[in-house]
Amino acid sequence: MATILRTPADWPRILLARGGRGRPTFDPADIEAAGAAGAWSAFRSVVRDLGPAGSIATIAASGLRGRGGAGFPTGEKWRAASEQPVARRFVVANGYEADPAVVTDRTLMALDPHAVLEGLAIAAFSIGASEAVVALRADATDALRALEAAVLAAENAGLLGVDVLGTGRDIVVTIRPVQGAYMLGEETVLLKALEGKRGQPEQRPPYPAVRGLFGAPTVVNNVQTLAAVPWIVANGAPAFAAIGSKASPGTVLVHVRGPLGEGIAEVPLGVPLGQIAGLAGGVAEGRTLKALLVGGPSGGILPPDVADTAYEFDALRSVGAHLGSRSVVVVDDRACVVDLGRLLTRFCADEACGKTIPCRIGTRRLAEIGERVTVGVPKPTDATLLADLAHDVVESALCDHERLATLPMTSGMRYFRSELDEHILHGSCPAGVCHPIALAAASRSNAPMTSR
Amino acid sequence: MSSVPGLGIARGMAFTLKRFFEPKATIRYPEQAADSAPRFRGRLQLLYDEWGTLKCETCFQCAQACPIECIDMGGLDTKGRYHVHWGPPETYGERREESALRRSGRTVPDAAYQHFEPIDVATVDAILDRYDHDPKQALQILGDVQDAFGYLPVAALKQISFATGTWYAMLYGTASYYRHLRFEPPAATETRAAFDAHRPSETSYLAALGAALGERQPATGTPAQPRGSRSRRPSSAN
Ligand SMILES: Cc1cc2nc3c(=O)[nH]c(=O)nc-3n(C[C@H](O)[C@H](O)[C@H](O)COP(=O)(O)O)c2cc1C
Ligand code: SF4
Ligand code: FES
Repeated sequence: MATILRTPADWPRILLARGGRGRPTFDPADIEAAGAAGAWSAFRSVVRDLGPAGSIATIAASGLRGRGGAGFPTGEKWRAASEQPVARRFVVANGYEADPAVVTDRTLMALDPHAVLEGLAIAAFSIGASEAVVALRADATDALRALEAAVLAAENAGLLGVDVLGTGRDIVVTIRPVQGAYMLGEETVLLKALEGKRGQPEQRPPYPAVRGLFGAPTVVNNVQTLAAVPWIVANGAPAFAAIGSKASPGTVLVHVRGPLGEGIAEVPLGVPLGQIAGLAGGVAEGRTLKALLVGGPSGGILPPDVADTAYEFDALRSVGAHLGSRSVVVVDDRACVVDLGRLLTRFCADEACGKTIPCRIGTRRLAEIGERVTVGVPKPTDATLLADLAHDVVESALCDHERLATLPMTSGMRYFRSELDEHILHGSCPAGVCHPIALAAASRSNAPMTSR
Repeated sequence: MSSVPGLGIARGMAFTLKRFFEPKATIRYPEQAADSAPRFRGRLQLLYDEWGTLKCETCFQCAQACPIECIDMGGLDTKGRYHVHWGPPETYGERREESALRRSGRTVPDAAYQHFEPIDVATVDAILDRYDHDPKQALQILGDVQDAFGYLPVAALKQISFATGTWYAMLYGTASYYRHLRFEPPAATETRAAFDAHRPSETSYLAALGAALGERQPATGTPAQPRGSRSRRPSSAN
C-alpha cells in the first residue's frame, strides 16, 4: 500500500478519516466495529429521515463534484437519473483507476471499503436503483478482498442485499474486477465492459444517467465521490461546502510523485498547486523545479510560475491541465519536457481505442511529431502542424480521451516554446536528453526529411 | 516471327476486323448503367497505408454493421497476435493480406488456411451453463474459459459464439480488446518481463515517469520505423 503523506494539521480529513495512518482502523468484515467507527449511520438516516428526494437535495446543496476527472455536479447527475420514467436503474462505482501510476482509489477502497459501499447504497436508494456495481482493476487484490468482506458483512447486517433495513427495497451490490486499457476508466467504456462487450466509448449525450448500463439510467461515480457522500449526510451540506474552494468544495486524494518521494495526500480542493508538489519533498538540493505534470498521462505540463494556481477543476482547466487521475508529478531540471510530452502522447496513442479517426490516427500522428522532434529529423513546420492537429483532434473527438491526449504536447508548447524551438530549429536539447538531428545538418546530408 | 513478311500484321488485322462486327462490351456509362444486384456495393477490399500496413484497425465496426454477417475478422490483429479463424473462404473478409489478395481474384499461397485445433467442448459447456448462456456475461465466461485452458482456443470461442448467439466477430472483438485474455498458450514460466510485455504501453509510461524523475536511461530509438506498430516504441531501453 502506498504511503500516506503528512499534510498540514488544519487540512480536514474526510476520505481518510478512518484510514489516515495507512492501515484500516477496523476489519472490514466486522460490521460492529464499522458501526462503532461511524459507518452506515448516514445510510440509516437517509432511509429513516431524509428519503430519496432529501438526500439528492443534500448532495446538490453540498456542491459535491465528481472526482473522476470531469467534475460534474453529483447531485445533478443523481437527479437526472432519478427522473427517468423507467423501473430499472443502476449505480456504478468507478474504481477502475486507469492511470497505472496512481493508487489513490485502490488505497481508499482497501482502507475504508465501508465508506464507498455506504455512499453507493445512498446513491442507489436515492435514485431508486436496486442493482449496484463496484468496478475495479483485477490486480487491485487488496481492495477486492476488503470490498468483498465488507459487502458480505453489510449483507448479513441487512444493510445491503434484499429488503434493506426493512424498507422492502433491494440494493444488490456486485463487485466486478475488470482489466483493460487506460480507456476502460471512461464511463461509457466501463459500462460496455460491464455488459461484456469490447470497451469502446459511446457518443454522449445521451449521458449514462439517461441511457447507461443495458440501456437503463445509470449513475457512474468515482469511488472518492461516493466515499464523500456519507460524510456530507452525517455532517450536513453547509459543513462540506465550507471546505475547499467555493466552486469545488471538499477534498480529494492526490497521488504526488517527485524525485524525492511519493505518496497519497488528502488535499482540500483549491489549495495552490505548489503546496501539493511540496508534499512529496519538492526537488533535491542544487536542483530547480522545472515543471509539474498535472492530471496523469493526458495531463498538462505546467511551468513553476503557475505553481500558485488553485488545485481545482476550473482553475486547472484554464491553465491547460486537468484534475484527471489526480496525479501531480514534480519534475526537476534534469528532465526534458518535450521528451516527457512525447512519451505521454505515445502512451495515450497506444491506449486509444481505435473507434474514431481522431482517436485512431490523430493521436498517433501527434505522437509521431513528438518522436520526430525528440529523436528524429524535425520539420520546420512541426510546431504549427502540432497546434493545428491538436485543434482538429479536440474539435472532432468522440470521447474525452483523445481531447485530453493533446494536452501534454500543447501545454508543453504553450509554456516551453523556446525549448521546443531549440529542438526543431537547432537540433539540440537544452536538457541534454533528446537527440534530434538539426535541420541544417539534415539538409546538408540529404537525409530524408519525410521519414515519418 | 513468321517467315512470310506481313503475315503477322494480316493476322492482327483479321482479328481486329472480326471483333469489329461483334457486339461491343463497353458500357457507355452514365448513359447506360450496368446490371448489378440491388445491394451490390463493390468488392470488399482492404487498403494499405504508405508504410505497407493494412489500414484496417480490426475495430469491427464493419463486421458489426453488416446485416447478413458476411464480414468477419481473422488473421493478424493489431497487437500482432496470430489468430487462426476460418470458415468457408467465400464468406469471410479476413483482415489479412492474403485474403485481400484473394478478393482481388489472385491465387495466393496460403499455408495457414486450415481448420482450428479441436478441444473438449464439455469444459466450455459447463462454464456456459454456469453463466446461463448469457451473452452479457461474456467477460466472465471468457475469463473462466481462459482459466480452464490457459488461453482462449478458437474452438472455444466458436462454441461460446454458437451457444450464446453472439456473433463471432463481436466475441473475438471483445476478447482481443482486454489485456488479460490471450489467444496462445502462455509461456511455461511467466516472468516479470513477459508480464510487462503484455502491457508494453503501461510499462513504458511508468518508465517515462521514472525517467522524468531522474531515473534516467539513455533515450534510444529511431523515428523511421517501417510500421506504426503498437508494440514498437522508441522509449524501450535495450
Ligand atoms: C480516458 C478516461 C479515463 C478515465 N478514467 C477514470 C478512472 O480511472 N476512474 C474514474 O473514476 N473516472 C475516470 N474517468 C472519468 C469517467 O468517465 C467518469 O466521468 C467518472 O467516472 C464519473 O464519476 P464522477 O462523476 O464521480 O466524476 C475517465 C475518463 C476518461 C475520458
Ligand atoms: S474492422 Fe472494418 S470498419 Fe474497422 S478498420 Fe477494419 S475494415 Fe474498417
Ligand atoms: S479513445 Fe477511441 S474514441 Fe476516444
